[in-house]
Amino acid sequence: MVANTLVRIGALAVDGLSLGLLYAMLGLGITLVFGLGGILNLALGVFTVIAILLVVELTASVPVALAAVLAIALTGGLGIVLERSVLQLVYRSEGDDRLLLGIFTTLGLSIALQGALSLRYTGEFAVPVEIPSIEVFGAFIRGSSIVIIVLSLVILFAMYLFFSRTYTGLATRTIMQDETGAVYCGIDTSRMRTFVFVLSIVIAASAGVLYGLSFETNVAGAFNLTITAVIVSIVGGVTSILGVVVAGVGLGILTTFLSAYLGSYISTIALFGAAIVTLVLKPEGIQ
Amino acid sequence: MTRDWYHLLPVAGVLAAIPPAFFAPGESYLARIFILMVLYAILTTALNLVFGHTDQLLLFTGAVAAVGAYTTALTAQWLGISPWFSLLLGALLAGGVGVAVTYVAAVRELTVIVISILTLALQFSIIELVNSLRDITGGVTGLAFDGLTIPPLVNLPWFTGDIVLFYTLGVMLLGMLAVYQYLMNSRYGLAFEMIRQDETAAKSVGLNAVKYKIIAGFVATFAIGLVGPFFAQLSGFVSPGTYQFNNIDVLILIMLIVGGLRTMYGPLVGAAIIILLNEQLRAFAEFRSILFGILLVVLFLYFRDGVVPFVDEYLDKWDVKRRAQGLMPGSRASER
Repeated sequence: MVANTLVRIGALAVDGLSLGLLYAMLGLGITLVFGLGGILNLALGVFTVIAILLVVELTASVPVALAAVLAIALTGGLGIVLERSVLQLVYRSEGDDRLLLGIFTTLGLSIALQGALSLRYTGEFAVPVEIPSIEVFGAFIRGSSIVIIVLSLVILFAMYLFFSRTYTGLATRTIMQDETGAVYCGIDTSRMRTFVFVLSIVIAASAGVLYGLSFETNVAGAFNLTITAVIVSIVGGVTSILGVVVAGVGLGILTTFLSAYLGSYISTIALFGAAIVTLVLKPEGIQ
Repeated sequence: MTRDWYHLLPVAGVLAAIPPAFFAPGESYLARIFILMVLYAILTTALNLVFGHTDQLLLFTGAVAAVGAYTTALTAQWLGISPWFSLLLGALLAGGVGVAVTYVAAVRELTVIVISILTLALQFSIIELVNSLRDITGGVTGLAFDGLTIPPLVNLPWFTGDIVLFYTLGVMLLGMLAVYQYLMNSRYGLAFEMIRQDETAAKSVGLNAVKYKIIAGFVATFAIGLVGPFFAQLSGFVSPGTYQFNNIDVLILIMLIVGGLRTMYGPLVGAAIIILLNEQLRAFAEFRSILFGILLVVLFLYFRDGVVPFVDEYLDKWDVKRRAQGLMPGSRASER
């Protein structure tokens, strides 16, 4: 009995970790853009779903791995277009005005893009690839969970190297800490904003492709992904890159266990509860 | 105070004239549109008060309306009383939620963005809670609901359930506008304006900013909780789908901006325009969300002043107001 319980807990922990790393990547997408440009990107989830849909479309003609890379690149390209056109208008305003304008603009974009996508895509979508489960100590662990853990760790580690070792990464963190100071150091904040926005979209798109390995999603689910990303980002302290990764993994494991033992509604409420508690106890992070 | 009522008279006149002009027995389509307009106008006025005048962006109007609706339906069922009594209980509970949120927000000095995210999280968790308590709330399918009607009136010749519902909501809208007018033309309005423009300065002259923010929060959420059950009355059942973020909050935000922030007629004009547009696009559901999404972006980027201030400005330009003033004794130019 005890052994069985332990095996189940182990399997859940692996699933929780894989979900948590995906949460961490989604949260990072919010944190980067909010920390750098003061825009809470409420359209992030749509890019995640677009990436999944592109993979589904492209696997008809190319192998899955290539389809995934192409999908992520194309989603990033869409990110550039939107940043150069719509978000540039938002950056014209300053302070609280920009925050509000950013919320409404990205919310509007999210609704419009979701509407456009649902013209063609109805029903549930997942990345069409079969990964066999593997057996460890009598526990069946989903192959997709392992793939997600490995690949997202690689991506997150690459992000860590980027932000700690490269000039561009360091410049990004400088702007997050002090925008005026960064300008004095000769950093081109406008170009960096575009770059980081696209980076956040690419991260979200990668998270989407990996998410599609394990889960099915539909177009309407895009906003739920956005909200989850925002919650993870808030719990992680909104502008802290390390914080968002820790928060993502923690919340992923928490929600997996809660939904296994108490049901999915309770786990969703716990997720929102975590955000509400953080906002009330420590609102300084986001102001 | 007397001059305030001049602004309500045209609204009352239009509301009174709508059923005889448009409602017909057995034809509930048009009636539904006008009822929705009034419902949304009340919600938008509430948002105008709390967001427009005190800068507290509450993005959980749908959830607050759901709190009102479920409290009304469930207590009426449990206690075996008329929903007309439990309606008040629902509104008070909704107002209580509003007081709690605005109190925490004011004491913790949360900025507008934190309030918006906090209430957005509340919106989704409250709806999720309603979904999960299947034994009590009926889950996603909801509960049958009927009873916010006035039987003696419905049975009169010429009166239908729709007309009674419309006039009931019309009276509530007028009440809401009267409260709004009263607040704006009293020390409350001045306090709201001062806190909105410079909170530090307001506090330094001894203004209790927390108190005024809570008052605005209570009035708005009370009104939202009060009209919440009428969505259920209109459709015949209470279900969480009615009160979702996309169905309530997104629409009233657009209505408020289309009509004009911080104006009395703005929310009414906005609600009328957007409900009409929504109905026109009924056959193209997907195009509707594309259009509303783009509308949200474009309005906030380019047209943040709204229709009413825009028209106001043109009336000023052509000097219509001053010439018209002679015709309306005792009325002053504008409420702005």
